[in-house]
Amino acid sequence: MSTSTVSTPAATAPVEKRSALAPLGKPFAVAGGVLGIVAALLPWVTFSLNDGNWPDKSTLQFFDAPFAVTGFRWHVLLLGVLVLVAAFAPVPSRGRVVRALGWGLTIVSFVNAAYITVKGGGLAAITALDGATAFGSVVGLIAGVLAILAGYGIGIEPVGEWKFKVSTPVAYLVLLVSFGAVLYAVAAMLTTGGVGASNPYAGAIFLSFLGFAGGVLGALSGVGFVRWLSALSEQHRVFSVIVLAACALLLPFTDAGNEYWMTVAANIGIYAATAIGLNIVVGLAGLLDLGYVAFMGIGALVAANFSGAATAHFGITLPFPVAAVVAAIVAGIFGAIVGSPTLRVRGDYLAIVTLAFGEIFTRSAQNNIGGITNGSNAIPGIPPLSLFGAEFNKSISIGAVKLPAGVLYYVLIVLLVAATMAVFANLKFSRIGRAWIAIREDEDAARAMGIRTGKMKILAFLIGATLAGLAGAVFAHKNGTVSYESFKFLESVTLLAAVILGGMGSIPGAVLGAALLFVLPEKLRDFEDYRLMIFGLALILIMRFRPVGLIPDAHRRAEMIERADENAEEAHVEAKKA
Amino acid sequence: MSVLLQQLANGVIQGALIALIALGYTMVYGIIQLINFAHGEVFMVASYGGLATFTLLPDDLKKSPAVALPLMFVGGIVVAVLVAVIMERFAYRPLRNAPRLAPLITALGVSVFLQEAVRVWYPDATSNLPYPKVFPEGGLSLGSVNIAWTGVLLVGLSVGLSVILQTYINKSRMGRAMRATAQDPDTAKLMGVNPDRVIVLTFIFGAVLAGVAGVMFGGYLNNINIDMGFQNGIFAFTAAVLGGVGSIRGAVIGAFIIGLIKTLAGQYMPGGTQYDYVWIFVVLILVLVFRPQGLFGEPERVRA
Amino acid sequence: MSTPVLEARDVSMVFGGLKALKGVTLTLDEGKIVGLIGPNGAGKTTFFNCLTGLYTPTTGQVLLKGNVLPGDPAQVTDAGVARTFQNIRLFPSMTVLENVMVGRHVRMKQGPLASLFHGPAYHRGEKAARDRSRELLAFVGLNNLDDELSRNLPYGDQRRLEIARALATDPAVLLLDEPTAGMNPQETEATQQLIFRIRETGVSVVVIEHDIKFIFGLCDSVSVLVQGELLVEGSPEVVRADPRVVEAYLGKPPEEVEHEIEAAKGEQA
Repeated sequence: MSTSTVSTPAATAPVEKRSALAPLGKPFAVAGGVLGIVAALLPWVTFSLNDGNWPDKSTLQFFDAPFAVTGFRWHVLLLGVLVLVAAFAPVPSRGRVVRALGWGLTIVSFVNAAYITVKGGGLAAITALDGATAFGSVVGLIAGVLAILAGYGIGIEPVGEWKFKVSTPVAYLVLLVSFGAVLYAVAAMLTTGGVGASNPYAGAIFLSFLGFAGGVLGALSGVGFVRWLSALSEQHRVFSVIVLAACALLLPFTDAGNEYWMTVAANIGIYAATAIGLNIVVGLAGLLDLGYVAFMGIGALVAANFSGAATAHFGITLPFPVAAVVAAIVAGIFGAIVGSPTLRVRGDYLAIVTLAFGEIFTRSAQNNIGGITNGSNAIPGIPPLSLFGAEFNKSISIGAVKLPAGVLYYVLIVLLVAATMAVFANLKFSRIGRAWIAIREDEDAARAMGIRTGKMKILAFLIGATLAGLAGAVFAHKNGTVSYESFKFLESVTLLAAVILGGMGSIPGAVLGAALLFVLPEKLRDFEDYRLMIFGLALILIMRFRPVGLIPDAHRRAEMIERADENAEEAHVEAKKA
Repeated sequence: MSVLLQQLANGVIQGALIALIALGYTMVYGIIQLINFAHGEVFMVASYGGLATFTLLPDDLKKSPAVALPLMFVGGIVVAVLVAVIMERFAYRPLRNAPRLAPLITALGVSVFLQEAVRVWYPDATSNLPYPKVFPEGGLSLGSVNIAWTGVLLVGLSVGLSVILQTYINKSRMGRAMRATAQDPDTAKLMGVNPDRVIVLTFIFGAVLAGVAGVMFGGYLNNINIDMGFQNGIFAFTAAVLGGVGSIRGAVIGAFIIGLIKTLAGQYMPGGTQYDYVWIFVVLILVLVFRPQGLFGEPERVRA
Repeated sequence: MSTPVLEARDVSMVFGGLKALKGVTLTLDEGKIVGLIGPNGAGKTTFFNCLTGLYTPTTGQVLLKGNVLPGDPAQVTDAGVARTFQNIRLFPSMTVLENVMVGRHVRMKQGPLASLFHGPAYHRGEKAARDRSRELLAFVGLNNLDDELSRNLPYGDQRRLEIARALATDPAVLLLDEPTAGMNPQETEATQQLIFRIRETGVSVVVIEHDIKFIFGLCDSVSVLVQGELLVEGSPEVVRADPRVVEAYLGKPPEEVEHEIEAAKGEQA
């Protein structure tokens, strides 16, 4: 059931909604900025905690060089300076920028304060003990809240729009620098706080970094840079994909180039590729698929059965490229079958049909249907891939540089992600992609334009499932074991969440979403038990406050941004009432 | 023959349970066209609410079923209603005018959240928990067919409550407001119906029934676990669709059909009980594809 | 006499017990503009939906150049009948140019493989579609708005964009559902000129409209639909002079109108 769009008269000038905070906007921004800088220079904790000093010498007794700020205090300093800059420099949509930076400050301060309080045993740790005071986090929190309020006071205007065009070489340069920065950010995100148990404060350092990164990204998005950049990268999409892939291939040479992160990054890549496939179905064609991970499972099972593993059913061993193609084709066929009810079923009901198919897959696989899934015993012992005698799970050396184990899988998966991105981008800007978007926006109107909607929707399912099948084949060899447990309903929801969190219909969004959803659990061992609960809560909050996702697609943004703004406005009004 | 009769009886009892949950789906969908995916979890939470109530009772009351059992129902229902009202107010209401995918995804989030919240915070919820033995024991023997008293109670409650609900919606002022809102929310609003109140009330009714179902589920099966919500929720949703979403009578009849399919397929279809679940999904798909308006609904007209 | 471009023969449509259309016949000759008027609820939009394949008539058939039209909107568009909607239905978050390019969909050859690999054929096809779309945008008077999102256009421009999108399917017949609804006199005048220019390109047009003045100034022939039945058909002068039309339009209660119709039929018989 598509909603008919009642035409609204042209987008009129933004309605002036003055809030009571309006006159306080600038003073609050200045105060927030200054306090942010002050917070960075103050000590944050009064004593050394049991697990060692709080990172970066912010423990009072080690606080001997107040102006040598690094780590999270460096972030606080930067955010404070940026708030001040935004308060005075002529930036577009100043309110948004200040608000985003304020949120960054608040999160960084809160995360550090909360960890110190909990791990250090009470409020004394962040306030005062034996005459020693450490109000850094408190001041930081105040600065953050002031900046957020300042943002509302200044007014939340529409995101800045950058109309100017640049010549191709300049565009390439901008993209190169930006993607380089993204690579740096990703490497930093992976390595901050070290790996797992090696640093007791890894979780805090990581969350704090996320707060900082989120604040800066929000500010960049507020001034319109993100939108401009994503338009630019769509314009030069071939170049973008190549640069992104090249950047990704450089990751093993950074600090993140160890076996652990190669493995994690490879897993992220597999899910990212799958999420991009799902993005075709959900993001472009607007069909909610709640059983999508089944196609990945089908691909993995097919590849496992042709891999020569001891429990493989067919007794035929195919070379990996062949097996992968077979896996993709089989998954694609199932995709078309699952998609065929779209001829008659629309909207929510279609989502339920896909869910039902997914559950049928899980149940059948669990019960070892046809002897091909090995039920709950799984199919173990799938041999790792090898190329010219180099096994993919071993480390390799190029000249003098020794690359960590698993790097070849990583490279393979980066190429897989690049390929799926190219498929997605090419389809999106084609006759078929336009037809999908038209169907998503208004199915009846699309039919009236001569689009065979049924065929197009099945095609979306088919292509999405094929990509998932391919990813599944790689998954089988990479992990060595294929069990139905990896392809349950919750995995489908996780993939969907990756797509939504990143931004529906947007490619960088799908990668970012997958990265966040699969890196976070690695980083937040402290919260392992709460992982899924936080995840459920996150789904609710995203839908409520930022339904467009982190890096929205230009189309989607237009569709949903005004509503999100209205929501924000409404929440603001409600907050004031309370 | 006796196997068939026994399975028929089991199917009817299963159907009675599913019916109680299905009514919540069907009413909410009827009013705001939302598949409240989290409704199955409301049922699950209610079951734990009932159990918690029992655990908190003083020891002497625990021994007296006549007091403990009603209190458990009250506990389960209160928890279910609280969860449903909070969920409606903070998760769904803000999204009432959002694109249709948004509330559905939110519902998924609520579902995951509730399930995990119980797993993490309810003591020992990671494994099956035994339900207290305050329910009538033993049962009815009709020839070779045995029916537990809890089963009889379940069927009685299910049929009785759905009749009351149907009557309320047909006869009362509030029921009329509900029907009006379901048919045309804007006009209903103009006629002075407060849609927020109607919607909250719909969620509350659904939650009360889910609460009863949650406690009875524990009584009938003696064990509860956190997966019960998802599974039974899907069964109930299937039943609601089968009967024609929005129709009270349809949901109840659909639920009994689903209950029978489950037990009979488990007995007679290839694969046995391992695949009974699959048959229900097959039915769900077939209904959605070939008769999306359900067995008793009117086909929808295309609008241009 | 040559075959009419579009012909509806004795089209009836029944919903449940409700007879929305009772044997409506309409012919559209090549290069003509036919107007369809009638009070609210007369069945005009239902009739349009029958013409465009959204509904399959209960009885009767619709023919395009003598061939029966298939009962599917996409195939009808493919065959050469394009439409606009009463309440504008653009693709709101696509750009102006993309909206029109969606209209080129049926006339493009690009298959899945070309879409996937973007070879030379793809680029040629895209360029041709883009050029044609720009041409049509210029034709309806929407220059330099290519990259604007269609939802951001003013109301009148949205109407014109919808016409450009429909023309992009290279139709033989264009069906316009209340093209001037909500427009001021200047915009209405501009729309009239636009429809004349569309006719000049060889496209035949059917227009539903409430604005009788507009219809009489525009059409070569006018059909009046009342209560699902064709009341009068003829040149604007004939229709304007017909007392039954005046009565139907002055808003007599439907029963009375029906009496009149019955009476009129009696007289004719």
